[in-house]
Amino acid sequence: MRGRKQREVEEAAVDLTPMLDVVFILLIFFIVTAVFLDEHAQQLEPPPPQTDTPSEPVPVILIRVDEDNLVFVNNRISDISSVRANIERLRAETPNSAVIIQAHPEAKNRTIIRIRDQAAGANIDRVNVILSDV
Amino acid sequence: MARRKRVTSASSGNDDEVNLTPMLDVVFILLIFFIVTAQFIKEPGPDVERVAVDNHNPVKPLAILIAIDENSDVWIDKEIVDPNAIAFKIRELREDNPNGKLVVQTDADSEARALVELMDVIAETDGRKPINISIDRN
Repeated sequence: MRGRKQREVEEAAVDLTPMLDVVFILLIFFIVTAVFLDEHAQQLEPPPPQTDTPSEPVPVILIRVDEDNLVFVNNRISDISSVRANIERLRAETPNSAVIIQAHPEAKNRTIIRIRDQAAGANIDRVNVILSDV
Repeated sequence: MARRKRVTSASSGNDDEVNLTPMLDVVFILLIFFIVTAQFIKEPGPDVERVAVDNHNPVKPLAILIAIDENSDVWIDKEIVDPNAIAFKIRELREDNPNGKLVVQTDADSEARALVELMDVIAETDGRKPINISIDRN
């Protein structure tokens, strides 16, 4: 008696389960594609505006990259992997000095970003990038 | 008396089955939310080879993606953009998404000229703040 009554109720209701299946599959698809764009980044300071009058001079660690992607730290040639040690040594000599990457226009960005990574390893927050004259 | 009995039996029948309607409402709202946010960010297009480094931070929320391919061409929204039109494109995308962050995906073999000139344009149109350069996490 009880079982028969339950069956009657099930037959009366609209079965939402297949629709719910489809909606769930769509939902999971959109969640996955939304999370797909996951960017990790390093930060570079933009070059200063051209008209900017030089404010009070700050000691600078100038890292030059030439057209053959050779790296010079304060005009001394250096391997990319030893840029961090060089920055740490120069920061110990003159604390609060700013780090500037001066890149030749035809230098590869691979070199610039690796130097930025070395500077981040030496706890430098802000690294400016400027172009050198050809 | 008979009518009252029928009403109670009908309502007890409703109590027996699980009501899926509120759940379906929530799922639909989630679905619509994800559809809308999925279309917000326009991918630049080219498959750039990012530089693999050790130090990096996640960037969230994203708003604008700009790519520089290995030929130093600038891509926004799946097309190559003329250097003079970059500022206009950035402003256009900024209107759609005023709060997210801008990320530059630069190919490892692109030239420094392209990156620095792009950073100059971004600083002038989108505010002079640090610019996120996308890297390879591994």
